[in-house]
Amino acid sequence: MGFLLECPNCGKRDVYEFRFGGEAHKRPRVNSSSEEWMKYVYMRENVAGVQQEWWFHRLGCHKWFLAIRDTRDNSVSI
Amino acid sequence: MLNFEFNGRRMSAFEGDTIASALYASGVRIFSRSFKYHRPRGLLCVSGRCPNCLMSVDGVPNVKACTERVRAGMKVKSQNCWPSLEHDIFSVIDKIGRFLPVGFYYKTFINPPIEWSRVEWIIRRLTGLGDIEEEIASATGKGPKDGRSIHSSSFEHLNLQADVAVIGGGPSGIFAALEAGNAGARVVLVDDQPALGGHLRYSGETLSIDVATGEGAYSGLKSSAVASTLEKAVRDRPNMTVLDNSTAFGIYESNLIGIVRGNSVIRLRAEQLVFATGAHEFPSVFQNNDLPEVFLGRGIQRLVNLYGVIPGKRAVVVSNNDSGLGVARTLMDAGVKLEAYIDSRKAVGAPETLAEIEDAKVQTFLGWAVKEARGSKHVSSVVICEVDNEGELVHGTERVVSCDLVSLSTGFETEAWLLNQTGSRTIYDELLREFIPRELKPTVYVCGDLTGIHDLNIAIMQGKVAGLSAAVNLPAMERSSELKVEYQRKSLETYSRLVSQYEGKYREGMKRTRGPDVLVVEYPGSDKMRKRFVCVCEDVVAKDISLATFEGFDDIETLKRYSTVTMGPCQGKMCSMPSLHLCSRVTGRSIAQTGRTVSRPPYVPVAMGALAGAELHPVKLTGIHYKHIELGARIMDMGEWKRPHVYTSVEEEYKAVRESVGVIDVSTLGRLDVKGRDAGKLLDFVYTHIFSTLKVGKSRYGVICDDAGIVLDDGTVTRLSETHYFITTTTGNVEFVEEWLVWWATALRLDAYITNVTAGLGAVNVAGPKARDLLQKLTTVDLSSGAFPYMSSAEGEVAGVPCILLRIGFVGETGWEIHFPAEFGEYFWDTLLEAGKEFGVKPFGVETQRVLRLEKKHVIVGQDTDALSNPFEADMAWTVKFEKEDFVGKAALVAAEKKEPERMLVGFVMKDSMVAHDGDQVFSQDGSRHVGFVTSSKFSPKVGRCVGMALVTPEHYKEGSLIRVKSDDALNGAEVTLAPFYDPEGKRLRA
Repeated sequence: MGFLLECPNCGKRDVYEFRFGGEAHKRPRVNSSSEEWMKYVYMRENVAGVQQEWWFHRLGCHKWFLAIRDTRDNSVSI
Repeated sequence: MLNFEFNGRRMSAFEGDTIASALYASGVRIFSRSFKYHRPRGLLCVSGRCPNCLMSVDGVPNVKACTERVRAGMKVKSQNCWPSLEHDIFSVIDKIGRFLPVGFYYKTFINPPIEWSRVEWIIRRLTGLGDIEEEIASATGKGPKDGRSIHSSSFEHLNLQADVAVIGGGPSGIFAALEAGNAGARVVLVDDQPALGGHLRYSGETLSIDVATGEGAYSGLKSSAVASTLEKAVRDRPNMTVLDNSTAFGIYESNLIGIVRGNSVIRLRAEQLVFATGAHEFPSVFQNNDLPEVFLGRGIQRLVNLYGVIPGKRAVVVSNNDSGLGVARTLMDAGVKLEAYIDSRKAVGAPETLAEIEDAKVQTFLGWAVKEARGSKHVSSVVICEVDNEGELVHGTERVVSCDLVSLSTGFETEAWLLNQTGSRTIYDELLREFIPRELKPTVYVCGDLTGIHDLNIAIMQGKVAGLSAAVNLPAMERSSELKVEYQRKSLETYSRLVSQYEGKYREGMKRTRGPDVLVVEYPGSDKMRKRFVCVCEDVVAKDISLATFEGFDDIETLKRYSTVTMGPCQGKMCSMPSLHLCSRVTGRSIAQTGRTVSRPPYVPVAMGALAGAELHPVKLTGIHYKHIELGARIMDMGEWKRPHVYTSVEEEYKAVRESVGVIDVSTLGRLDVKGRDAGKLLDFVYTHIFSTLKVGKSRYGVICDDAGIVLDDGTVTRLSETHYFITTTTGNVEFVEEWLVWWATALRLDAYITNVTAGLGAVNVAGPKARDLLQKLTTVDLSSGAFPYMSSAEGEVAGVPCILLRIGFVGETGWEIHFPAEFGEYFWDTLLEAGKEFGVKPFGVETQRVLRLEKKHVIVGQDTDALSNPFEADMAWTVKFEKEDFVGKAALVAAEKKEPERMLVGFVMKDSMVAHDGDQVFSQDGSRHVGFVTSSKFSPKVGRCVGMALVTPEHYKEGSLIRVKSDDALNGAEVTLAPFYDPEGKRLRA
């Protein structure tokens, strides 16, 4: 894995500068059903395709951002 | 002259010799024994592509002798033979070879008449590649000094960037690099040879170059001279980086090129990629085609023209393309007698060269092919045979030509492996009989022999087109001056037009001279010729491939896995095309339909050490570290930090803290600043406790959970102002907590800013009944318990240093955790110890701190909790504030609170003088049931016995419950206590 990721603050950087924060999902409301919470906490889509995900620029600006990545070829857009 | 050792014999070499050229010049002909049949093998490709010369060099196995330069004093050993290369006992297997058909292991060991475990050791002894020497295996770090040292420090990583990366330093690669460089691009040229020029270095020809290429000036010159001139031109350019002796082994996402150069791995990132990787030769398949002194044509040219080695006395040149004519000329120029020139075509592309060969009284056989090579350990003759238009040998036309050298120019395969890794495709061209690039990905360009066209004029122009295209398509170039770009586009058009004209002519020529396909000789009965080698790495013969295909493994991918063809050290460079031909012949599918196997990185073997890089382990030292060393502390690792474990003895240090005063360096604690209007809101959401109501100047303990309700971290939160909080985290966990806080601040869109101030701040904890007396000597801040009560804070100077003072008590005594700018560390530490002399102050280490905190039952997250612990199980229900509308983990904790917990954290005291250890298992009183495990345990000076904490089933969560701790196979009695062992009311803490 060696793709470039474009940080909105710092520009294109090597992916090793970032921490992967997982798939972006909407957090349920506090009184949502336990099924919904279970899904949010434990289940992942693991798609072969395009998904929105969180990234943290740990060796740069220390900011989180959302990126759209194609898991098949690691092409990324913001 | 250089001297080196080969199998214990002293050898000599010239400067610039490879191991192989030096050995060959000294008369060595057998370089290895084959994988399965232990057949003698000699040099074949002389370019590092075949497996025939793998040797052990200075203890490093599987080094390619034909590309490894001789260094004085190096020790070279042959592999896979016993007792010697010339006389290998195991070659007897070759005589019984017909009992080792394809799929031998599968067929023999699936329903065992022979038990695998009984014969495994024999088979392991017989097969396999080189051995790793004992001293290397144990990695003592005492490797040889030069070059190939195995010590990890000799490996390194390098990062490079380029506008245009050109892979391959042959003529077309050089012109691509020059054109891209002229256009203003920053170019990196990668080549695996010690010098640039590709085949110009060793072809030995006098060049004829058309004026139209723009390089007509080189016409009439010796190819090696042109190679040197071009190399100089490239190296002289300021915007050009030449990486010689460097092999690109993989192309990764976003145009990242992995390059290995000796012990270094270079990560090259380029905007545009030009592939000029060329093509390599492979042997055709006939009986005994693997005999020593059967060479690939270019291998012979390399030996003669690069190393000045005369490879034999009487040669036969076998060819099916014009490069064979060049080899014939190389041999004649070197004074080798040509016994015969054999070409399976009826016409050649360079009749004038053929005429020269005929003039030299060499017998030429057009429309002939080799049926068989003869000889035991060396080739002594070849049997040649006429071929018909279908490529079948014509029975009865056989003739024997005696010789001691055979040159094969029997086909090129484009080196498209790296290109394929970009996602660009290759298709089989029926006319050129090669896989040529098609459907190139954006930013990818190709030129030279890689396109399946072997013509210097075209290669030069293709190179220019590729280099120019790469440059003008750079994003940065669009901004450069109009006029220059316009000019470049013009010349790009001109060259592109010329290239297609020349290519058209080249293809017409190929049509004219096209001969039958005799890559694998077949005729009635040839199945009995079981020594027609397809794969010299794994000893796979033509019959194996036919049989495997016949048995149903007719897909090229399954054929590969079943027969192991293309899976050896050469990774298919020698065998891919012949095996494809055979598969296609048996199945009746075309080559294009059969397709090629996928090749993944690495293209060449790369040492694990090179991939891992230098062993750079980060070490963090506190600002007071060297004072601890001066005091004779025993240092321990805590994550990346180094901390004092103990200075004198736990007893002595413990006594100081409990009875007078002790100081400990706690600079390793994570510290975060949280600022902003919503700082309180953020902390309320992320911690289970409430912090927005915390008064300025107060501290509070807090626990962080995730949305599953699992405890992630704990620490203190101090409010320094309305919009400013100061947080401490567990040592080593600060990066995580920072990311966690920033994430929630981002996701909730809060006005809160988190800064990691850990490295900037030093910290000490001053604790003990005399802590106040000590500190009051150094500060004007009122430390009296009325003015500075437990869990409060102040900012002020201590010993003239600006500090944040927190009145907290991890060790259970009156004490202050003092944070100050890290650069004052040593001064601050010395001042404290000096001022505390009158009270008998002692520095204490981590081990003493652990005893002190355990007596207070203060939890260490990660030690007394695990990946399933929630605050209820950790007996910290008081930290969870359900009155908040929402917080991270609330939903899960609400559910958890309603359920009976599965386990609870309890304290225990061992009976009598029995001892428990961290991780010991806990059983019920009668020993019948396993009920949990010990998380921490130490001897408590206060209790006079061993105490600890354990996660146990909830029925034991009551004062006085009896449990047993299994230690050294004994079930020792213990009694549960729920209160702290020391000062349960916290009177001393608040004093």
